[in-house]
Amino acid sequence: MVMKSAVDDDDTGWGLGIPEKMRNSANWVDITQEFKGACKELNLGELLHDKLFGLFEAMSAIEMMDPKMDAGMIGNQVNRRVLNFEQAIKENVIKVKDLFLPELIGIIDTCFCCLITWLEGHSLAQTVFTCLYVHNPDLIEEPALKAFALGILKVCDIAREKVNKAAVFEEEDFQAMTYGFKMANNVTDLRVTGMLKDVEDELQRKVKSTRSRQGEHRDPDIELEHQQCLALFNRIKFTRLLLSALIAFTKKETSSVSDAQKLVAQAADLLSPIHSSIQHGIQSQNDTTKGDHPIMMGFEPLVNQRLLPPTFPRYAKIIKREDMVTYFSKLIERVKTVCDVINTTNLHGILDFFCEFSEQSPCVLSRSLLQTTFLIDNKKVFGTHLMQDMIKDALRYFVSPPVLSYKCCLFNNHQAKDYIDSFVTHCSRPFCSLIQIHGHNRARQRDKLGHILEEFATLQDEAEKVDAALHSLLMKLEPQRQHLACLGTWILYHNLRIMIQYLLSGFELELYSMHEYYYIYWYLSEFLYAWLMSTLSRADSSQMAEERILEEQLKARSSKKTKKKKKVRPLSKEITMSQAYQNMCAGMYKTMVALDMDGKVHKPQFELDSEQVRYEHRFVPFNSVVTPPPVHYIQFKEMSDLKKYNPPPGSADLYLAASKHFQQAKLILENIASPDPEVNRILKVAKPNIVVMKLLAGGHKKDTKVLPEFDFSAHKYFPVVKII
Amino acid sequence: MEQTDPDLSSSSQARQKLEGLLNKNMRIRMTDGRTLVGLFLCTDRDCNVILGSAQEFLKSADTFSQGEPRVLGLAMIPGHHVVSIEVEADILEDGQGFGVDN
Repeated sequence: MVMKSAVDDDDTGWGLGIPEKMRNSANWVDITQEFKGACKELNLGELLHDKLFGLFEAMSAIEMMDPKMDAGMIGNQVNRRVLNFEQAIKENVIKVKDLFLPELIGIIDTCFCCLITWLEGHSLAQTVFTCLYVHNPDLIEEPALKAFALGILKVCDIAREKVNKAAVFEEEDFQAMTYGFKMANNVTDLRVTGMLKDVEDELQRKVKSTRSRQGEHRDPDIELEHQQCLALFNRIKFTRLLLSALIAFTKKETSSVSDAQKLVAQAADLLSPIHSSIQHGIQSQNDTTKGDHPIMMGFEPLVNQRLLPPTFPRYAKIIKREDMVTYFSKLIERVKTVCDVINTTNLHGILDFFCEFSEQSPCVLSRSLLQTTFLIDNKKVFGTHLMQDMIKDALRYFVSPPVLSYKCCLFNNHQAKDYIDSFVTHCSRPFCSLIQIHGHNRARQRDKLGHILEEFATLQDEAEKVDAALHSLLMKLEPQRQHLACLGTWILYHNLRIMIQYLLSGFELELYSMHEYYYIYWYLSEFLYAWLMSTLSRADSSQMAEERILEEQLKARSSKKTKKKKKVRPLSKEITMSQAYQNMCAGMYKTMVALDMDGKVHKPQFELDSEQVRYEHRFVPFNSVVTPPPVHYIQFKEMSDLKKYNPPPGSADLYLAASKHFQQAKLILENIASPDPEVNRILKVAKPNIVVMKLLAGGHKKDTKVLPEFDFSAHKYFPVVKII
Repeated sequence: MEQTDPDLSSSSQARQKLEGLLNKNMRIRMTDGRTLVGLFLCTDRDCNVILGSAQEFLKSADTFSQGEPRVLGLAMIPGHHVVSIEVEADILEDGQGFGVDN
């Protein structure tokens, strides 16, 4: 056996250092029987180990012969020989020229399936690189296949670069490792698209020459060839469009984003013909030997098995060809949506765009494209706007702070400028992080939202200080104006939004037990949404004050009476929605308390923890926030104590109150002029809950011991309560 | 480590033997024909063995792509998959009990 040269033996780690003593000259002596005999003398459960090696270390060992952990096991159970590309060519089991059309179609479709499986989080080695052709496209003589292999490699390479750059993935989302494979780096992007285009043109000629002419008797063979040529043509064109779209995303100009949008739209048109021609491609035969890897020419699922790291349990199941087309069309839809972000100009609008996009749980590639479209390499938003300017615009839009008003003396005051500029600069990193957080997968977002609250707490502190400094400056210059809590209100608004999202996402991720619902909903309705609404109305009145001053200045200048137009308040929609959410939360809170009174909430036997421990754990990230101050468990118990009412309400009263809250939410939502899907989703929960609560208040099924069900299918955060 | 009398019970003798092998190179052949080489770190009554810095070698004759070992790191081989255990000869010369009665 040939051993690699010795590497420094690492005394502390049990990991990967290769022991020095492993020379090939080693003289091995069999001790099997004695060893096994000696082991038998040990006691049950006793571990014989070095004092530096304990149970803790032992836990991280991979278990051999366990199919979930031992990646090497699969390769060993297959009786066929695993050949790499060169070997396969030498042994004549793989064609590099004169491939039949069905073979090409089949290989391309399987490659597409591999590409998607990779994008869904598997490793390249187990997906795209199971295709031997992409290992070395230089060896392929068939031009269509060669161009396709290079195209796929480029697609992978650009996708990988995008995902890496956006950095919104975790190990469960994406495997960026290339295992030393060349990603067609020796050919330029332009050359590859050119090659694909050449192949396309050649195929188009064939398609035309085999097309049926009027009155001609159709030879079925020619018809079949025509169909197959067309199928291949569509696939090559799709590859080219996909690649060109990704290339467009790497350009810095904003206009290239709309180019990309056009390209993917063209690609989408090809999906239906691709779907209907899947059957023209050769299909994989199922392996007759062990293992259920499908076998197809040009593919060897096990070729990279030995490249995989030891703890690589995942057996990559390549998706089916039928699903491939569906996936592509969804991917293209997502990419089209991503391109729309450049039409949003306001920072709050962009933030909402990211939130909404994330709600569909999009794939890592579209998430990454959104990130890289938002902040281009030069650290400018969409490559054109400074983040600082975006933040200033957002401030103007939200609270209209005098310091940013052209009509205010602070606007050209150097000191005031310094204050606001340094504040805005400090804001830009946390806000970029906040937007980046929305690019992560849903589960990771929650964790990261908890952490970013610390940064916003620091900003909050600074905002208050800057407000105070600006206010005292303004008092000297224009005593009739105020600069109180402008910046502070804006940061507080974002603080509250993050906190609310943190709590709500726990419902979506199914983290809370039923007996926890009541304090989560209480915290939301009585506390966070109450704060949010007062923050929004403070911002609103700050806007109005600023508008009044502007109006007065205008009036003073022109004698003409300006028409009093009733303007739609910019924040009114958000205030209305917050009211609706608050009512929904309040309704749920009262429902949960009432259900508990009736013994319809299963409570665990607290042994090692208590409700207080759980409560404090749920709100742990809020401890870093100063405003609003965290509500501790004792406070919560006092504030939510029903005994302070005289007489204390019973369950029927609470059901009725809950029903009123749902009713209120319904009224608010139904008055919204142009309801969006979110409004309709909430209504779908509010309406049945009104009825259920009324029934419960009337004593319906009061004695049933069956626990109620909470159905979150209509809305992620608010369940429909079902009494069975 | 306590000094043991040669007359002590067989179980403490066995323990001493095994302890003498700790952190020594070991070569274990598994039921599926693969061989692992690594440092002996831990075992128990069922002969489950943990090797550190383990490397995996495929069965020598019948595999096409033979050659470079694959680095596994810390690996546990369940006792019932252990076919044979070997150690390097010079280790045994230290006279820790193994091989002496061979």
